Amino acid sequence: MKTIVLATAIRILIPLFIIFSVYTLFRGHNHPGGGFIGGLIGSIAFVFHTMTHGPQHTVDTFLKLNLYGYPRQPNQSRSLYLMRMMRVNVWRRRKMARHPDMKHHMVRIESVYIIATGLFLAVTSGVLGLLSGQPFMHAYWTDFYIPVLGKPGTPILFDLGVYLLVIGVVLKITFVMSEE
Amino acid sequence: MFLAILAGFLLAFAAPLLHRWLGKWVLVPMALLPLSIFVYLLTLSPAVLGGDKLGELHAWAPSLNINLHFFLDGLSLLFALLITGFGTLIMLYAGGYLKGHPLLGRFYLYLTLFMTAMLGLVLAGNIISIFVFWELTSISSYLLIGFNQDKEKSRNSALQALLVTGLGGMALMGGLILLGMAGGSYTLSELLERGDVVRNHGLYLPALVLLLLGAFTKSAQFPFHFWLPNAMEAPTPVSAYLHSATMVKAGVYLLARLTPVMGGTDEWQYTLMMVGGITTVLGALLATQHVDLKAILAYTTISALGLLVTMTGIGTAPAMEAMVVFLLAHALYKGTLFLVAGNVDHATGTRDLTQLTGLSGSMRYTAVAALLAGMSMAGILPFFGFIGKELLYEASLQESPFRWMLFAVSFFSGMVFVAVAIALSYGVFWRRSTSPTPLQHPDKPLLYLPPVVLASAGLVFGLLPGFFVTPLLRRAAESMLGVEQVFELALWHGFTLALGLSVLTVLLGYVVYRYANRLLSYASRFNRLYLFGPANLYQLTLKGFLIGATKITATIQNGYLRSYIVAIVTAQISLVILALWDGGPRLELGNRLHELSQLRLYEVVLLLMVVSALIFLFKSQSRLTSIAIMGIVGYSAALLYILFGAPDVAATQLLIETLTVVIFVLILHKLPAFKYLSHASERYKYVLLSLTFGAVMTYVILIVKQYPLDSELKAYYGLNSYLLAHGRNIVNVILVDFRAFDTLGEIVVLAVAAIGIMAMLKLRMQKGDKP
Repeated sequence: MKTIVLATAIRILIPLFIIFSVYTLFRGHNHPGGGFIGGLIGSIAFVFHTMTHGPQHTVDTFLKLNLYGYPRQPNQSRSLYLMRMMRVNVWRRRKMARHPDMKHHMVRIESVYIIATGLFLAVTSGVLGLLSGQPFMHAYWTDFYIPVLGKPGTPILFDLGVYLLVIGVVLKITFVMSEE
Repeated sequence: MFLAILAGFLLAFAAPLLHRWLGKWVLVPMALLPLSIFVYLLTLSPAVLGGDKLGELHAWAPSLNINLHFFLDGLSLLFALLITGFGTLIMLYAGGYLKGHPLLGRFYLYLTLFMTAMLGLVLAGNIISIFVFWELTSISSYLLIGFNQDKEKSRNSALQALLVTGLGGMALMGGLILLGMAGGSYTLSELLERGDVVRNHGLYLPALVLLLLGAFTKSAQFPFHFWLPNAMEAPTPVSAYLHSATMVKAGVYLLARLTPVMGGTDEWQYTLMMVGGITTVLGALLATQHVDLKAILAYTTISALGLLVTMTGIGTAPAMEAMVVFLLAHALYKGTLFLVAGNVDHATGTRDLTQLTGLSGSMRYTAVAALLAGMSMAGILPFFGFIGKELLYEASLQESPFRWMLFAVSFFSGMVFVAVAIALSYGVFWRRSTSPTPLQHPDKPLLYLPPVVLASAGLVFGLLPGFFVTPLLRRAAESMLGVEQVFELALWHGFTLALGLSVLTVLLGYVVYRYANRLLSYASRFNRLYLFGPANLYQLTLKGFLIGATKITATIQNGYLRSYIVAIVTAQISLVILALWDGGPRLELGNRLHELSQLRLYEVVLLLMVVSALIFLFKSQSRLTSIAIMGIVGYSAALLYILFGAPDVAATQLLIETLTVVIFVLILHKLPAFKYLSHASERYKYVLLSLTFGAVMTYVILIVKQYPLDSELKAYYGLNSYLLAHGRNIVNVILVDFRAFDTLGEIVVLAVAAIGIMAMLKLRMQKGDKP
């Protein structure tokens, strides 16, 4: 279903959607919102994109990572190599893309990975309490306050897990339904 | 003791790795473990033999009164020494028996796992941990029987053993819980002192029935005996260790352990004596009908287990004495004979009694072991088996209304044991033969040393019964009787009635052996009887179960979403009506009618919108329209939430509605054309159902509103959500903090659902593909 108006609009709207969803996620602790609602808002952006451009395009645009790198030299230390690879991929991407020795790998972020990350974060926030001898899901709060985002604490981590999981689940369902 | 169990589990799971590193030398660490536990137990034994009961407590789930409690008294020590001592030999033997097998590491894993579980079972001092270890032995036995997984027969036998012992295990769990309720404690040492309370409790009988079911399935008592001969599909070390010396005796152990708690009543005595007696005779009878070495040994094992159960049932001091002595003697000689049979099988490639002759020349040491064990089994004078047999006869000849029946049972089994012993040791090895069975490979030390050691133990214990064995067995009998025992074991009791009967047994046993061929020729005539046997019953039940499950699944899970919804809705309606029918609260609308005047205009408008949308939905002719109308209903609901001050719920509802519509649109073009295939009356049926459901729910909500909401929850959350959880949005604070565990469960369900959708739509399996 390709309509030019929606297709153009959605491209501009997606960053807005995502920023708004993250905002909703963090404001949830004090005002209406939260991980579930935030996740739904975020995923709706991708769903609309899939609807107008098709799932393949959505994956290519948002869920593919280009990683640059070259094979490790035999006598190079591993940690040095790892740090260099990180630098290549994070700070100097533009320049490295044109370097002749560089090989690039496409990494597709499967929505299942997003689901798994979400679950992992949620469980981690519970286990943190367990590790320090408190009951499972014991909450820890910091003493400082970040503007807009609020007070960091393990429940926020839990909410972040819910957020990612919801996005992952909706994306998975959408891709499965629209592919074939 | 805890460390021993822990080391066992750790080493068990390290076995495959060790096998990769050490190759065939993996047997060294595997054998060292039981040996060191054996030595450790020996160092504890002076205290136990002095009358102490050692305990060791580790909290597990203290709030449920379940603890990892270890308890060592005479009975536990006897079993634990048997398990570890025999275990050491079996580990060595298995190294020789499965030499070069690619899965030797896995085999050691299962075997060590079993050994540890069995050790835990006999050392456990809490009845729940007894159950846990009990189940572990069942599972490891399943894995071991099915070790030759490429053979179908092996897999079926393993499953059969698991189903029978597993069902028994379930009964056992029920029985143990009932016992714990009756006795008011799950700790064995406390229960042992409350025997009178338990026996007079109303739960005694159900607990007894369930416990006996568990014990009888495990110890292969009639009518559950059929799994044991089939379990002989396992490699021989397993048959020797699990299915003759240790695991099948777990049931006997449980009975013995619980004798002070539950024993002594008529129900206990008669059931045990009857079931044990039948099993004894049946096992002995069936043993004469086979020519496979392992099958014969399996049936005589069943018979011996029956004798042990019978003796436990009699419950007098001499009977208990006979039981512990016979238990030890049986473990020693039967284990040896199994090892010998495995050895013969390994060397010649056959287990058929009729084809094996004159092996004494080529397998000298194995032949010696077989001779020693056979003489112990037959109850010839200087062997430990002789003492056991004497005591059995004395115990069964005591004053009791059933003395002749009991005596006949033990005499008959004794006779068959003699015949089997002669056939296995003399017939296979020592009988002169012009054409001895050829060997595929010569006798190996790893294969003949363990049986020789075991068999010599039978001889040494027989010659020197007073040395270590008597005090140990005394304490073991004391554990069952609750009173200190002072019996002495001696080889020579003088010319008593029992001695005469022993001699008579041997003579008659020899006669049975001579005419064994004629007995065998009758074997085929029983075939028709087996059709009604429990083994066949098991097969029929299993088959019927599968067919029934298929039919039920086809009926309930017919794949039509609407029939599922109809079932759910109908069930809910009927449950609600049932609850309201009799004595439920009545709706009183009379004094609430004035509340109608408080109705706002926009509420009425929303209501009208929903109702008209639903009527329109009923008439709609296209799928897209239907989806849009459903969207209207959903958005109206969201509006209602906003009006009544639930912004979080409203936002979620709005988003979900949007997503539903969008995803519907995505798959719309893949669906077949929208047509009404059913008759209109069919549709009215569903409309009627929906209306009923709506009416019932409205009624319930009206009733609920009739009563003032008096709950402290609201105040609690209102007060604490900011103070404790640093959040002002109560809904969200409940979701991510107060009841975060529920949310975690929900998101796990969500993730699983996503994977399920993927599996359903993406993975199209070809027929015959493996999942």
